Amino acid sequence: MRARQWLIRLTPYLLLTPGILWLLVFYAYPSVQMFISSFWSGTLETGFTVSLDNWTTYPEALERYGPQFGRSIVYGAAATTICFLIAYPLAYTIAFRGGRYKSLLLFLVIAPFFTSFLLRTQSWKIILGDDGILFGPLKDLGILGPDFRVLATPTAVVAGIAYNFLPFMTLPIYVSLEKIDGRLVEAAKDLFAGPWRPGGTIAGGVVGGVAAAGLAAAFQYDVVMLALLGIVGGVLIGTFFLSESFVRIVLPLSLPGVFAGSLLTFIPAMGDFVNAELLGNTQTRMIGNVIQSRFLDNNDYPTAAALSFMLMAGILIAVAVYARLLGTKELTSS
Amino acid sequence: MTEFETRLAAELTRRRFLQGTALTGVAAFVAACGTTGSGSSAPEESAGESAVPSASEAAEAQSPSAELSFANWPLYIDTDDEDETKHKTLEDFTAKYGTIVNYSEVINDNDEFFGTIRPALDGGQDTGWDLVVLTDWMAGRLIRLGWTEAFDLANMPNKVANMQDVYKGVDFDPTDDHHAPWQSGMTGLGYDSEVTGDLTSLAALWTDDPRWKGKVTFLTEMRDTIGLTLNHLGKDPSQISEADFDAAVAEIQTALDAGIIRAFTGNDYAEDLVSGNVVLAMAWSGDVIAKQAEKETLVWQLPDEGGMLWTDNMLIPKGAANKYTAELFIDFVYDPEIAAQIAAWVNYVTPVKGAKEVLAASDPELAESPLIFPPDDVLANVSIFKLLTEDEETTFNDKFSSLTGN
Repeated sequence: MRARQWLIRLTPYLLLTPGILWLLVFYAYPSVQMFISSFWSGTLETGFTVSLDNWTTYPEALERYGPQFGRSIVYGAAATTICFLIAYPLAYTIAFRGGRYKSLLLFLVIAPFFTSFLLRTQSWKIILGDDGILFGPLKDLGILGPDFRVLATPTAVVAGIAYNFLPFMTLPIYVSLEKIDGRLVEAAKDLFAGPWRPGGTIAGGVVGGVAAAGLAAAFQYDVVMLALLGIVGGVLIGTFFLSESFVRIVLPLSLPGVFAGSLLTFIPAMGDFVNAELLGNTQTRMIGNVIQSRFLDNNDYPTAAALSFMLMAGILIAVAVYARLLGTKELTSS
Repeated sequence: MTEFETRLAAELTRRRFLQGTALTGVAAFVAACGTTGSGSSAPEESAGESAVPSASEAAEAQSPSAELSFANWPLYIDTDDEDETKHKTLEDFTAKYGTIVNYSEVINDNDEFFGTIRPALDGGQDTGWDLVVLTDWMAGRLIRLGWTEAFDLANMPNKVANMQDVYKGVDFDPTDDHHAPWQSGMTGLGYDSEVTGDLTSLAALWTDDPRWKGKVTFLTEMRDTIGLTLNHLGKDPSQISEADFDAAVAEIQTALDAGIIRAFTGNDYAEDLVSGNVVLAMAWSGDVIAKQAEKETLVWQLPDEGGMLWTDNMLIPKGAANKYTAELFIDFVYDPEIAAQIAAWVNYVTPVKGAKEVLAASDPELAESPLIFPPDDVLANVSIFKLLTEDEETTFNDKFSSLTGN
């Protein structure tokens, strides 16, 4: 009897054991090993020795690869913003206007995932080719100059990242939008919620202008022109498409999905190296490329490990700050 | 259902879905990371196979074993046009000695492959491969680390007799008993003659010409890029010093700053040449010939200032299970008939004397190709990069990485 009670109390822990073992063996131990290796000094042929004096690896790596770190953050943020701007209307349409075609549309969103990540990026390289199917005809028609190119520029890298991670942003937002009770929106309309006129115009203009200006500054496009375009576009969308019921009811309720989606997009995007490698050039290298090169080409394990750890720490801090901003209560309550 | 139950049902569904999404995301991300490192699965499979014939070396040294595990680069052996898994050379070897050759084209990059065999070699264990093909400098590193088996030259009379003189006595293997050249290639200029016209000088790579500005690629292979740059500067890559290296880096930086260089690439420049994204590149001879089928205007040119010669070499990793059979295979491919057979398909420079005469009888046009059988004046105009010490290699790789943005 007592043995049985004891077993019952142990059951949760026993059920957790496989998961914990997995985490220990495949995550905790390698992480510790990597942390130790960041304190190594030496080379492949002469062997490595551990020493606490090697803590200098961290500031040295940070100083040397600061630009790449900064670039990864900028590209990751830009890609997340673009993904958000595309994914939110997409998820909204599927959730509220999808009707019979919801499953089909969701399938179409996920369909690219059936091909390998590498193949998808490679196919973008072909599509965005200088004389490929997209730009070839435009160049022939004279709309674009013969020297115009998108490949091997930061634009292509960010576009590639945004494309690859779009479903990660769409699906969580869709899920939280789907959950919203339609009666709440009806009630808001009963209470005279209409188009969000002055507020919508201003908010649209501000958001559009800031987003466009930020992206332009990051990629050295004409800031003024793009900011103007952003303001005009934002004003149009804000005036005609934003309603009070959306802003006051739907948007706040969808924040948990937005939070999950942005995390799922930003964190992998920051560490991404495939897009920068295939679609970029030497000026667009991200921290993921650096870690790969340090590890594989240069056999510089201490620096690679140090960079990985700093990346992890940076992301953890960023996520904590983000969670504070959005308010953790928002995430778990419904 | 009560309100509580509806809420509970909804909450569980949402939470599970979010978790499911997160798990799918992580799984997809891990899977995507996994695809780039897939080379590591092959040695494990072969290790299982070749561990079976565990005969002692003394008994095994006398007769060819049942299997031979051979790792090589893609497109590096004659392949049947209809069936990509059939290679006549390997079938001939099986006919002669009765050994089945487990041929795997798993090597795509020296460093990447080195990463897969290093743990086993470090631990003094069998890598699972009896024969691997690696470029000079990587072969030099393996020999320096003591991770290769010494050949018993008595087992390979063909190699001793037929290896071309230019390969004898290299600095990473003065006694020529740790490596056997497989094929050689040259690095020079690859370009689309329709866009750029005819180019013969390396200076083109540094010229701000609107025809190719922004459509030029250099190689990520440090020795090729720095080597050609040194030729352009009039220095000798086989005697490179750190000052020379810095001068080369500065020179490449000027091209980068001028916006001439589009990117540093590996083998993918070949695809870009065909698609037109790139019109001028530092290119490897065999690649351009292979791509001429897709784009006839592509030309490979050995520059006036000189190109680079590199060699991929066969090595027997330490602890290989079938060392004697591997030696027999090396001897086999140094037979002029077999060498001609391979060279006719791969279009690279063959290291075997007498292959040219054999090919002249069956395909005179190929026998005259300066890229497969470079005449003496061509061979005089190519350099081999100096064998670096470990310190030099680390420093040079480091500085070169800064150049390529890594």
